[in-house]
Amino acid sequence: MITNFDKLCADLERQELETPNGIASPSTYAQLLAIYLYQNDLCNAKFLWKRIPQNVMSSSPEIVAIWAIGQKLWKKDLPGTYEALAAYSWTEPVSNIIRALEENVRERTLNLIGRSYSSIKIDKLISMIGLSREATLQVCQDRRWTLHDDGMTVNPLPPAQPAPLHTSSEDQLFKLTEFVSFLEN
Amino acid sequence: MASPLEQFVNNVRTMSASGNFRDLYEIIAKSDEVLQRNSFHLNTVLETLDIQQHSLGVLAVLVAKFSLPPGNPEVDRSTMYQQFHDFINNCNGEQVRFATDLYADLCHLLTNHLVEIKQPIRGLEILKKAIRKIQLFDSQLTSIHADLCQLCLLSKCMKPALEFLDTDVTGIGNELGGINDSKHFLLYYYYGGMIYTAMKNYDRALYFFEVVVTVPAMVVSHIMLEAYKKYILVSLILHGKVLPMPKYTSQVVCRFLKPLSAPYHDLVASQHAASKHREIFVRDKNMGLVNQVLNSMYKKNIQRLTKTFLTLSLSDVASRVELSGPLQAETYILNMIEEGEIYAMINQKDGMVVFLDSPEKYASPETLCVLEQQMAACTKLHQYIQEMDVQIQVNPQYVKKSVGSHDEDMPGTSQNTKTTYTM
Repeated sequence: MITNFDKLCADLERQELETPNGIASPSTYAQLLAIYLYQNDLCNAKFLWKRIPQNVMSSSPEIVAIWAIGQKLWKKDLPGTYEALAAYSWTEPVSNIIRALEENVRERTLNLIGRSYSSIKIDKLISMIGLSREATLQVCQDRRWTLHDDGMTVNPLPPAQPAPLHTSSEDQLFKLTEFVSFLEN
Repeated sequence: MASPLEQFVNNVRTMSASGNFRDLYEIIAKSDEVLQRNSFHLNTVLETLDIQQHSLGVLAVLVAKFSLPPGNPEVDRSTMYQQFHDFINNCNGEQVRFATDLYADLCHLLTNHLVEIKQPIRGLEILKKAIRKIQLFDSQLTSIHADLCQLCLLSKCMKPALEFLDTDVTGIGNELGGINDSKHFLLYYYYGGMIYTAMKNYDRALYFFEVVVTVPAMVVSHIMLEAYKKYILVSLILHGKVLPMPKYTSQVVCRFLKPLSAPYHDLVASQHAASKHREIFVRDKNMGLVNQVLNSMYKKNIQRLTKTFLTLSLSDVASRVELSGPLQAETYILNMIEEGEIYAMINQKDGMVVFLDSPEKYASPETLCVLEQQMAACTKLHQYIQEMDVQIQVNPQYVKKSVGSHDEDMPGTSQNTKTTYTM
């Protein structure tokens, strides 16, 4: 499942630029569009959508379906995003990216909710992460978010900060030396 | 074959063989007319020359061939892309550097051709290669940069230009600097600003528009005017106000640009200007940005609230910022938290929002890392300035001028500047 999307992205971009008549294959466009969405690079996704020729688009309903997701993401319409994700039966190789995209969107949303809500209605939470009630409660449990006594609101916790990366003291000393020698000269 | 043409071919061959490229450039720069007059034979000439060995000759012929008026039957433009492609891939970089102006002309011709046949995307890869071939170092600006940016904008494929735009320019190619036309310089920064705006990298976009407007000028260029309009809009989106222009902006620019972009200044004062001057904004093709300005005003207002209040109900937020209701206020606040524009906690149970201070304590390893990067950048900049200073000090023109203007205190001044810089 873990494929290197960044590398694939660079490959696809090159493919698009190197096609002799300037029009790449529908599969290239579809994958590239899905990867931009996965990377949350909505600007590039929008411009890619705008430059795909009309006849390629009409021959490939998948591209249209992918951009339907993009539109919802652009408008930050999360319930709509999950609807659009489920609305099309994706084919390989796009389905792979779409699955990763869905997880990515959900993970990002959960982190955002953790950061910005001290309490949230459970219905709102369900619509924002696009899961069933049971699955949502499970997610809450995993993140140690507590359900309020009334059974209607959840109290999210901020996501744990990733452990700070330690640089070796030797490295720091080196930088400090360089800095001081710059100031002295 | 006509005899001046024969002479041209002979010159190219003998001088290329002897490596006398500087003189050869002098000759081919003057042979444009000869080549154009003999347009029938240009293809034959091309066949007799080798791209690798006689790069300069081939370059001259190609430029002459494709700058013929479009009606000319001898010019088959369908092969232009292929010939250009072969030339860029195979030409000798050292030779063509003697004729950067012709080389750039050829790139401009191809750009215009691709724009005409509406296939701009095909030019991206080859122009990238062309720039890399002629550059002496990565941060050198050539007049081909503007072509690349133009094609990127037209093809709506921005990414290829970013690697060039992200590199800060520290040198300028021969054909672009000096007494030459500043059009391509202005265009590069104008197009670059537009690309960054499209990518929503407003910070950098603002800088690029600023560069356009602050180019020393005796007269105002139209490119400057358009850049100034976009400068106002981007500044409003980013900062909620128009940042004043730097002091080194040419006076003529300040004097003429402000009255010419009055509707944009109205926008600063009131939001109603957007509908009042709608026609002008649409004609300038800036309506999309104007809408973003309006949108960002809500955000600025919410940001202002965070300075006054610690806790506020969502409906209060909505009424103070003139939004339709608590739900819309919640959406705005959520989006702003996501973008890192405010720090707040929404409590849906009570319908309240608590504004927090930035959690940044400036004591984390990340902060240190940022600080280190900034220091490294400053050190680098300092180095560049010193290098430039040395270059200017030994520039014959500069020395002559400074000696001429104040003969006696010349040694004193040079001493002074030196001590200032070594501090």
